[in-house]
Amino acid sequence: MAVLTKTEPPPRPPRRRRLRYRLQVLRHDPTAALGLILVVLLAYLVVAPLIAVLSDAVRLQFGDELHAGQQPGEWTGYYLWRVFRSQISGLLFWGPLVNTLVVAVGTVLFALLLGGGMAWLVTRTNVPGRKWLAGALVVPYMLPSWTFSLAWLTLFKNARAGGQVGFLESAGVRTPDWLAYGPLPIIVTLGLHYYPFVLLLVGNALRRIDVQLEDSARILGAPRRVVVRRIVVPLMLPALSSAVLLVVGRVLGTFGTPYVLGLPADYQVLSTGLFQSIRDRSTGVASVLATVIVIIGVLIVFTDMRLMREQRRFVTVGGKGAMDRLGDLRGWRWPAFALGAVVFVVSVLIPVLTLLLSTLTRTPLDLSTLTLDYWIADRLPGAVGFPHGILRGSELWQAAWNSLRIVGLASLICAVAGLLIGYVVVRGTAPRIAGFLRQVSFLPYLIPGIAFAAASLSLFAVARGPVPALYGTTFLLILVMAVTHLPYSSRSGIAAMMQLGREPEEAAQIAGASWWHRMRRIIFPIQKGALVTGIVLPFISGLKELSIVVMLTTTGTQLLTTLSIGLVDYGYTQLANGVVLMIALLSFTMTSLTQRLTKSSLASGLGG
Amino acid sequence: MPNITLSAVSKSYGGGDHAVKNLDLVVPDGAFMCLLGPSGCGKTTTLRMIAGLEQPTAGSIAVGDRVLDSVEQGVYVPPEKRAMGLVFQNYALWPHLSVRDNVEFGLRMRKVPGPERRARAEAALKMVHVDAAMDRYPSQLSGGQQQRVALARMLAVNPSVLLLDEPLSNLDARLRLEMRAELKRIHEESGATIVFVTHDQLEALTMATDVAVMNEGELQQLAAPMEMYERPANRFVAEFVGSPPMAIVDTGPAPGGLAGSLLRFVAARDPEVTPSAVGIRPEALRLGAPPAAAWSEDALVEAVLPAGSSWTVRLRVLDTELFALSYTPVRAAPGDVLPCWTEQLHLFGADGARLSSWDRAGVTA
Repeated sequence: MAVLTKTEPPPRPPRRRRLRYRLQVLRHDPTAALGLILVVLLAYLVVAPLIAVLSDAVRLQFGDELHAGQQPGEWTGYYLWRVFRSQISGLLFWGPLVNTLVVAVGTVLFALLLGGGMAWLVTRTNVPGRKWLAGALVVPYMLPSWTFSLAWLTLFKNARAGGQVGFLESAGVRTPDWLAYGPLPIIVTLGLHYYPFVLLLVGNALRRIDVQLEDSARILGAPRRVVVRRIVVPLMLPALSSAVLLVVGRVLGTFGTPYVLGLPADYQVLSTGLFQSIRDRSTGVASVLATVIVIIGVLIVFTDMRLMREQRRFVTVGGKGAMDRLGDLRGWRWPAFALGAVVFVVSVLIPVLTLLLSTLTRTPLDLSTLTLDYWIADRLPGAVGFPHGILRGSELWQAAWNSLRIVGLASLICAVAGLLIGYVVVRGTAPRIAGFLRQVSFLPYLIPGIAFAAASLSLFAVARGPVPALYGTTFLLILVMAVTHLPYSSRSGIAAMMQLGREPEEAAQIAGASWWHRMRRIIFPIQKGALVTGIVLPFISGLKELSIVVMLTTTGTQLLTTLSIGLVDYGYTQLANGVVLMIALLSFTMTSLTQRLTKSSLASGLGG
Repeated sequence: MPNITLSAVSKSYGGGDHAVKNLDLVVPDGAFMCLLGPSGCGKTTTLRMIAGLEQPTAGSIAVGDRVLDSVEQGVYVPPEKRAMGLVFQNYALWPHLSVRDNVEFGLRMRKVPGPERRARAEAALKMVHVDAAMDRYPSQLSGGQQQRVALARMLAVNPSVLLLDEPLSNLDARLRLEMRAELKRIHEESGATIVFVTHDQLEALTMATDVAVMNEGELQQLAAPMEMYERPANRFVAEFVGSPPMAIVDTGPAPGGLAGSLLRFVAARDPEVTPSAVGIRPEALRLGAPPAAAWSEDALVEAVLPAGSSWTVRLRVLDTELFALSYTPVRAAPGDVLPCWTEQLHLFGADGARLSSWDRAGVTA
């Protein structure tokens, strides 16, 4: 019989011995090595660009020696001064900042009103056609955000910017500048794109509120009004604040809409300002602007996380709460439905039909000029840069192929990397490495895409050490796209691996399977589903992506999105609209297919 | 088949907290050893270290002459080379493989040729009575069937060491009873050495040939099941094993009341023994007229709780609450006062270790 009384902590063998043993263990378990490789890659692809852009912001660039009176490469406050304090800083920074804020606040209010109202309608009332509305009202989010801006131009454009005028002008209605360009159209079109985002977040939260919480209040004697004010609204606050902050974050990094609708009226926001600076090759100023955007983005997400953490105590996991109890609208049922239907018509049907109609006529609204030439003609007179129908020639197909290839590869890399990160995190043999991977793979989430693209340019535009200059290569596009989507795929990879746990692999290990065998026969086959969604979600969002790629593509690496923006620059309205329609169709089809196949909801891909 | 030897094995996670402290344990060849203890006592960690899934921070683990882990010598054999069998608490069946493929996996890894592989998988599944579900997938099986498949998966490779991590805890009561008998049979038929982790003392008592009780990473007692029940090595074991648990009365510096009564009784039998705590098992505490040699006091009946085949009676004896467990109907009502008595006392020293016990045969070490 062995009896142990309380002893001192047991002696530890000398450090050298422990290290030798540890090495033996590592030799047989490649998880740590794999983790280390991922750490190096992430540090290079995520952290290094940020450092590069920071350093570009405070070191003198070639070509600025005369203005700054310093040597290239020296530390300098010149760009900071230029952006924040000089005579043109109003033009470079303060103006765009104010404009960005105006657009952000306006968009948030618009999206909140529309999305919140619609969320309440489809989750908490007996409005007719609830199911249909719930699906239909999310469609705008599946379209590229600047679809709406092109549709807006097609409707409201006036003669100011040159080129073809919009439907209204051609019908003889003068559209003033404030209606055609600038803050109002930007806010409306962005709002139309982002209200589904609010609808999904708020709708989910509304659905998750336990009915018993409301019932308890009712039983204690609270009238309906008070229940809404004291119970429902406070419970909704986390979802609302989250929706607000995330929409602001996205608006901050969005490029297409302010570019299309703001530029003709010289209405600059931070993202277009950044683009302009890069185009003008003022790298220093661009770096400062990118840094500012990064900082604002980080602040927004941190605020969101802080709020979420504080409000974690509000989280109600209601088992029976799932049962729906719907408010009776009585006589307002059909008017409410009409309202929902109007929102759908305005946010989906009108933009899409406008775009479609515009591609079918030479002169806006003039049905006598009805033609399919913009789609299929061999020669289009007058269009020098794109002298044939969209479907003819190689441009569209080349761009489509580039999009599929680049976005596809990036998504594949993203999904595999996400799963591997999840694997390293869950295996837990290297806790410090796992912690780093978790944090850094999430980092791109904090950074608006356009700023991250600028940062990558800082690092990869010139040859550094053994790495050649990557500007203009497909490789750079793939890398940046993969990295910017990594937060979502690493999140879902970690979740998938967590759910699986390590036992299935350990069981295989006990059964005698080597690491390679375990990955090939056990881990990846089990995670097939997670891998597919991990590829498809970034793929869909990547197809619509403009902000990230607009600075990285060259004529050789044109994507569908950049092709369309290029056509806008040329003023070929019909052609640009046609290409956008193709993207919208592609992205809509893929999203609904995926939803049908995987039964996953779009909301899970939002990362909200 | 050889012994499993753990010498001075410790495991800590980062900081100073030890999951396992300085554990010396020998699992004899062919034994059915239970590692028993409350959750967080280090029993699962110990099992996983034997399997090679966790690594000790000090000490060594060997099976016979083969050293599997030695921090001092820098030896580590990975789990896939240890040729052991392990059944996980949640079974860890591979969801993408059919029952047959699950069971054949280990044989494939050992490069067993096709026909033999199929035959052995079928035999293993037959042994646990799930051969009918051979072509189904784990998600189509009930919990009990999954558990059996996990067992079959392990048995098919015929390992000489079987490790089981609370394999019965997710089963319902009836299945658990059935699987206990099953495991005992498998142990007898295969002759393998089994290490079985559980927090359920009943499982340990019914199945094991040896029980190792652990608490806070330390081994408390290593003994045969009944020995452990009858002669618990210390207060922890005494309180952990037995249901309802043993009542332990601290004597303190100035013993009065129940403690005083018990102490006076013990001192009269053996003046040499000075326990600082005295334990009474509820099932050894009887009601009614005491035999001559027994310790006895008057008890106030506070509640009678029938449980089908047994009756638990809450008593107040000299202002102290005691429980009596009876297997015959109790003819008493709350408020009654009647004598209670026992012929078995467990005596513990100041450090909590067992001093001796007293029963009808007298005070014994």
